Amino acid sequence: MGALAQNRQAGVRGLKLEVVIAGVGGQGLITLADLIAKSARRAGNDVVVAETHGLSQRGGSVVVYVRINGSAPLVSEGRGDLMLAMELIEAVRYSKFLKPGARVVANDYLVPPPLPGLEPPKREELVEFLNKNFSLELVDATKRALDMGDVRVANVILLGRALKVGAFDGFFSAEDVEEVIREAWGPGRNLEALRAA
Amino acid sequence: MPRYREVVREPGEAVMLGNAAIARGFLEAGLQFAASYPGTPSTEITEALAYAYKTLGWPVVQWSVNEKVALESALGAAIAGLRSFAGMKHVGLNVASDPFFSSAYLGVEGALVVVSADDPWMWSSQNEQDNRWYGVHAYVFTVEPKGVQDAKEAACHALEWSAMLKRPVLLRITTRIAHSRTSFKLGPLKRIPIEGRFEKNPQRWTLIPEFARRHRLELLRYWEELKAKAHQFPLNVVEGEGDVAVLASGIGYRYAKEALEELGLEAKVFGLSTPVPLPDKFAEELSQFEKVVVVEEGEPVVELQLRAALQELGSKAKVFGKTDGSVRLYGELDLEDVKELLAKVFGVEYGRPKALEPPKMPPRPPVLCPGCPYRSYFYALKRAVNRLRVEPVYSGDIGCYSLGINKPFEVQDIIIDMGASIGAGIGLSKALKDRVVISIIGDSTFFHSGMTALADAVYNRAPLLVIVLDNFTTAMTGHQPHPGIGVDAAMRPAPRIEIESVVRGLGVEKVVTVDAFNILESQRGTEEALRYVLENKKPAVVIARGACALVALAQARKRKVEVPKYYVDESKCTACGICYTAFNCPAILKREDGKAWIDPALCVGCAQCEQICPFGAFVPEKRVKEWERLLRTARPG
Ligand SMILES: Cc1ncc(C[n+]2csc(CCOP(=O)(O)OP(=O)(O)O)c2C)c(N)n1
Ligand code: SF4
Repeated sequence: MGALAQNRQAGVRGLKLEVVIAGVGGQGLITLADLIAKSARRAGNDVVVAETHGLSQRGGSVVVYVRINGSAPLVSEGRGDLMLAMELIEAVRYSKFLKPGARVVANDYLVPPPLPGLEPPKREELVEFLNKNFSLELVDATKRALDMGDVRVANVILLGRALKVGAFDGFFSAEDVEEVIREAWGPGRNLEALRAA
Repeated sequence: MPRYREVVREPGEAVMLGNAAIARGFLEAGLQFAASYPGTPSTEITEALAYAYKTLGWPVVQWSVNEKVALESALGAAIAGLRSFAGMKHVGLNVASDPFFSSAYLGVEGALVVVSADDPWMWSSQNEQDNRWYGVHAYVFTVEPKGVQDAKEAACHALEWSAMLKRPVLLRITTRIAHSRTSFKLGPLKRIPIEGRFEKNPQRWTLIPEFARRHRLELLRYWEELKAKAHQFPLNVVEGEGDVAVLASGIGYRYAKEALEELGLEAKVFGLSTPVPLPDKFAEELSQFEKVVVVEEGEPVVELQLRAALQELGSKAKVFGKTDGSVRLYGELDLEDVKELLAKVFGVEYGRPKALEPPKMPPRPPVLCPGCPYRSYFYALKRAVNRLRVEPVYSGDIGCYSLGINKPFEVQDIIIDMGASIGAGIGLSKALKDRVVISIIGDSTFFHSGMTALADAVYNRAPLLVIVLDNFTTAMTGHQPHPGIGVDAAMRPAPRIEIESVVRGLGVEKVVTVDAFNILESQRGTEEALRYVLENKKPAVVIARGACALVALAQARKRKVEVPKYYVDESKCTACGICYTAFNCPAILKREDGKAWIDPALCVGCAQCEQICPFGAFVPEKRVKEWERLLRTARPG
C-alpha cells in the first residue's frame, strides 16, 4: 500500500497524534504548525492547531499544539506523542505535555532569556534531561539555515528531520509536505531546506 | 504568501485560522460594513475583512478609535439597513457596553453582529471575564461556535439570524476558537451592494424615556419568543442516548465529545451553540434526566440558567458544573479534567496520564524587541528623572510599553486598563504631594481613551507629566493603523491627525517632541517638561517619536533598504556591563569574560547601544542613511 493510501486509512481509523511545538517567538512556530496541519489534511486526516499569538513576536516563550484526528484543541499534560522544539530551554519547559518516552525532535540551539543577571541553564544539562526521558533527535537547524543564508528556514529543516526519522509515519508523508510548501511559496529555499535535513 | 488569501478564495476547502474563518463566514452571509478596535484574540477577523476590502472592494471595513465608536458605527449602519459587524476583545465590550445595551432596545433594520473574543486564562489580557453575561444582562441573543470547527458557520448564521430577528446578536468566541486552525468548507461569497435607507421615526430610533419604556416591554416579549425558538439555531445539536445528559456549550462540546469517546461512555449530548438565552426546549428535555453534566468555557452562564429552569420545572436532576465545584472556575477547559469529571459522574475508574516534572526553567517573558524606540526612550527617561532627583510614580498603560514594567526600567507602577495612565494619573497626582506622577501612554491608546482624560487633566489642573510614545502604529496587537498615521484599514491614504495639535487643542501649554532614538535629545526634552510640571503644577506632554522596529524592518524588506549590523570592538569593551544590564537589548549578550557580544541574528542596527557605551565599543559595519530615516518614519502599509 502506498504511503498516501496508508495515511488515508489512518485518518479513517481516527488514530490520534498529539504534537507539541515549542520555541521562542519569531522562530516560525506558527508557520511550522500550519505546514503540519495542511500536510495532515492533505493526507486525509482531521487536524486542529491551537496557537499562541499576541506577544509572540517579542521573544517570549511559545507553545503550539497540533492534534491530528483530535477534536478538542489542547494537548493535556502527559499526553503528547511528539515534540518539535526550536530551542532547548523551551523543549524542557514544555516537556511536561509529553508522554514519558515520547519522541522529541529538537533544534540544537539555546537562546538565553534576556533577563539581566540571569545564569541560563547549560546546554549539556538540557540535552541530558531530554535524552534520559525521551527519544531525542538533535538537529543543528539554525546553524544549517544560517549556512544556507536564511535563518528563517530553520523550522523547515527541523520538520524535514522529523519526517526523516518517521515522526509522522501513518499520518502524512514528505511528499505531502513538499506539495504544501510548493503551493505556499513555490519551489525554492524552503523545499531545499526540507530536503537538507 | 498573503496571510488572508483563503478568506477571498473560490469555494472549496482550506485550512484557516478561526478568526479568518469567521471573516469568511461573514462574507458568505453578505456582510456590508465592519468597524472594530483591535484586541487579542479578536484582531484577525477585521484584518481578514480589511484584506477582502482591499482585494475585492467590499465590505467597507474600518478601524475605529475605540470599541464604543466601533459599535456605534456598526449600529448606525445597521439602523440604515446594512449587514454590519463590530469586533473587539472581551474588555473592549466594557468600553462599548453603553451602545450595546441600547442596541438591544432599538434593534436594527439590517443586521448587527458584535464579536466578543474572550480570553480564558488571560494569555494576553488583564482579566478573564465571560461576556456571555453581557447577553444575559442586555438581552442580546448570544451565539458561540462549538469549537473552531464551527467558527465560519457560526458567523454566517449569526449574521443571518440577526437579519431575521432584526436584533443584535453577540458572537462570543474564545482564544482557542480565534487562534486555532483547522480545515473549513468554503461556500460562495455574497456581495450585497450598499443601499442604505433611513426613514424618520423617532418612536423607533430614539430612546427618550417615553419610547424607551415601550422598547423595554417589546424587548421582554422578544426574549420569551426567542427562548421558545432558539433551539432551532442550525448549529445546535442533540446526539446520542444515555442515562446521563451532557449539556456542552461552545467549545465545551469538543471536550465533552472527545472525553466520552476516549472513555467509551454513552450519554445524550446537547451541543449548544446558543448559550443565551438557554432554549426552553432543551431545558425541558434536560429536566427528565437524573444527572446533567454542564461543560462550558468560562463562567457558569449556561449552568445557572439551567439550574433556574430546572427549579422552575420542578426537576430533581442533579447538575454537575462550575457552581458545585465539579469543574474549576478559572482557566481553560482541559480534556483530562473533563474525562475525570465524566468518569466520576458515570462511576467508572479513570486515572489521568502521569506527566513528568521537568526541571524548572528560567522564565522567558516577552521583552521589547531589539531596536524598539521605547528602550532608548526609557533609558533617557530614567536619566532625566535621576538628574532632577525626583522619584516618580509611573502610571502605566496597555501596549508594548507595558513591558517597561520589567528590569532594568521598571517604569510601569500601575496598569489598569486602556487610557487609565492619564485618568488614574490625575487622582494619583492630587493624592501624592511629594511625588511627581508620570503617565506613559501609546499613540493608539491616546486616541482610544487618552484624549478625553487629558482634557480632564488640563481642566482639573493635574500636575502630571504625560508621555505619549508615538510609534505610528498599534504595535501590541499586530501593527494596525490609527488616526495619527495617515492610512486607513485597507492601507490607503487617509487624513492624519497630529498628536501635537490635539494636545495643544486640549489646552496643554507645554508640549515637547523628541526623537526617541536620540537619547540625549530625549533626556533633555523630558527634563524640560518635567521641570515645567514641578514648577507650574500643570500638565505637560512629551511626545517621544520613533517607528516600531518591526514595522521599520518590514518596510526595509519591502523597499530593499539594507539593515546594517553593529559589532563590538573588543579592544574598547571594558566589560563594564552597562549595555547588558542597564540597557538590556536582547541582541547584546554577555560573554564568559564579561565583555559584550552582539548576536548578528538579532541586531537591527538601531544605533542605540552606540549612544550608551561610555567607551565607544559598539561599531556599525556601515551607516545606512535610508535605514536611519525608516527608523524615524516607518508606518504600516
Ligand atoms: C479596551 C481594550 N481594547 C483593546 C485592548 C487590546 N490592546 C492592548 S494594547 C493595545 C494598543 C496598544 O497600542 P499603543 O498604545 O499604540 O501601544 P504600542 O503597542 O504601539 O506600544 C490594544 C489595542 C485592550 N487591552 N483593552
Ligand atoms: S513590536 Fe514594536 S513597539 Fe512593540 S516592542 Fe517590538 S519594536 Fe517595540
